Amino acid sequence: MAAKERVYVNFFRPSSANMKAEARIAAIVILFWALLSYLLPLCIFLAGMSDPAGMGESFFTRTRFLGFPLHYWLIAQGCTIGYILLCKLYCLLWDRKVSRLPR
Amino acid sequence: MKRKTLIPLLAPLLLVLFAGDLFATGEEIFEIEQGFKLIPAVIMISLLCVYVGVGFLSKVSDTSGYWVAGQGIGKFGNGAAIASDWMSAASFMGVAGLLYLKGWFGLGYIIGWTGGYVLLLCLIAAQLRRFGKYTIPEFLGDRFDCHVVRLLAASVTVIIAITYAAAQFKGIGLICGWIFGMSYTASVFFAAGVVTAYMLISGMAGVTRNQQIQYVVLISAFMIPLWVLIQKAGGAGILPQLEYGPILSGLMEGKVAGGPLSAEEALELRRTFLPWGTGNFYQFIALVFTLMVGTAGLPHIMIRFYTVKNEDIARKSVLWGLFFIGLLYWSSPVYAVLGKFWNPNGGTTVADVIILSAPERANLGIAYIGYLASGAMAAGLSTVAGLLMAGASAIAHDWYATVLRPECTDKQALMVGRIFTAVLCVIVIVIALNPPALIAQIVAMAFAIAGNTIFPAVVLGIWYSRSNKYGALAGMVWGFGMTLLAMAGWILKIDFFGPEGWLPATSSALIVCPIAFLLNILVSNIMHEKVSEETADRGDSILRKLHNLPAPLPEAGTVPDTDAPRRI
Repeated sequence: MAAKERVYVNFFRPSSANMKAEARIAAIVILFWALLSYLLPLCIFLAGMSDPAGMGESFFTRTRFLGFPLHYWLIAQGCTIGYILLCKLYCLLWDRKVSRLPR
Repeated sequence: MKRKTLIPLLAPLLLVLFAGDLFATGEEIFEIEQGFKLIPAVIMISLLCVYVGVGFLSKVSDTSGYWVAGQGIGKFGNGAAIASDWMSAASFMGVAGLLYLKGWFGLGYIIGWTGGYVLLLCLIAAQLRRFGKYTIPEFLGDRFDCHVVRLLAASVTVIIAITYAAAQFKGIGLICGWIFGMSYTASVFFAAGVVTAYMLISGMAGVTRNQQIQYVVLISAFMIPLWVLIQKAGGAGILPQLEYGPILSGLMEGKVAGGPLSAEEALELRRTFLPWGTGNFYQFIALVFTLMVGTAGLPHIMIRFYTVKNEDIARKSVLWGLFFIGLLYWSSPVYAVLGKFWNPNGGTTVADVIILSAPERANLGIAYIGYLASGAMAAGLSTVAGLLMAGASAIAHDWYATVLRPECTDKQALMVGRIFTAVLCVIVIVIALNPPALIAQIVAMAFAIAGNTIFPAVVLGIWYSRSNKYGALAGMVWGFGMTLLAMAGWILKIDFFGPEGWLPATSSALIVCPIAFLLNILVSNIMHEKVSEETADRGDSILRKLHNLPAPLPEAGTVPDTDAPRRI
């Protein structure tokens, strides 16, 4: 007897148009999420490597943005605002790409 | 009202009455006057009556209503409920204190707790809503067609609910003690009575509606003093969240309210706000990652997506939930920075009361202090309610109604749910009355447990069709075991598991979670042939639902009913 055809789901190789659209949107948003969450602290870390005291003094800590030290604003408000915008982006993309697909 | 309904309702009312008899001299909690305070007490009692009243008006009579609010909550409402569920007494009172002590490094908690929602939205929210049942253990148990996975997930849910709720009760007890002048013991009973009463009366519908009201109370109470405080510190008092930057920049140069600091004090203050002054890069990334996957894996947050009308609202409610949470997390650093401005050398004693002492500093009067305490109380109650609901549903629905007594009626399952809500509440009270010294660390580890155990299993359950019960079990046992090992290592003060070690118990997911993913994938592939046709059919049927895939062709029409409970 031939093997029964099974449902195939893989985030990196989506099988249906619907799944493809969903996975692509998720991948885009997760990419930006990773940049915000990990690349930003990494930049702050790399920039501060020249600080002999090892506390991360750099361009980020000396620059002021809205009166804030840039390194503080980026994490305290920049990231959280970024996450909310990413959620909005996800909903917008979903409405455009997924909701219009035939079920 | 029928006698059957009266019995579970009388228990919490007796608890409240019992608490009244236990009035004693108040504990010294905050450096504010002790004893019974009439105006704050009136404010708090009124709000508690509103909560119980709302619960009574939202009374439900079926299991769907009890567990998932009849799936009729909208995006703003669910967003507020997500935020309220999320904001515990610890978030309300503790984050500002944490930022006061840890400075820039403490911001890792803020991005960890908010960034997790993006993961939740992208990978889990809409698909879980399509599954459309009641609990996370149910999802895992059905997807992998395995009662062991179901029971393990239910146990993890219960452990998280109990530890997390016990810590909340501790906070609620302290607040009640301060307002009513009760002993700590009495106030824990009092708070437990209130929370159990409205949960038993209403179930999830009442809890969700109350959480919306509680969100308004807690966020307004939290934010109003900021306008006065920022003016006192020299700001314009228009948008405090954007006005504290110059004060912070001044702090980094040693400028504080009380005049010049010594060179050593100024350096210490500067160190607090520099990136790696209070922790290193690895510790920061490990903390952020653990909190993110932990947030996305917390069952009482995931269960929220079952309560909404449809998947569209599930997605949009995450957006609104995150915005509502953001309001609190944009405000917490203002308190921390102003605290440093007025009191740069304070330790944990200043950090602990940074929120509750704010109205006094802002001269907002005793009534406002009552309102703020009610806000903190609302934060604690709403979180406890959500946790107990998730914990009780794991026991009653996943243990009792699915595994132990699959033939039970809807009515019996509902009654068992109510009984277990009360039982869990009693367990939490016992722990809250004798809190272990390490309760704060154990609660922090709830995120590691959720991130290492639940998150990988749920994500692969949704997005990887080859993931099967063997892989899921291997990943979950590894995640749970390693989290427990790290906890034990932490308690035994082994450096490797300590705050400065490679596998800190509170930040273990950076290493453990990816391995849990790998193990799940690896074992699933190795054991692929061992999965029975029937189990594979059931998994396929769920995956079709999760991803809106077409039904199988008629000749392959042997797909069994996935709703039927089964044993392995």
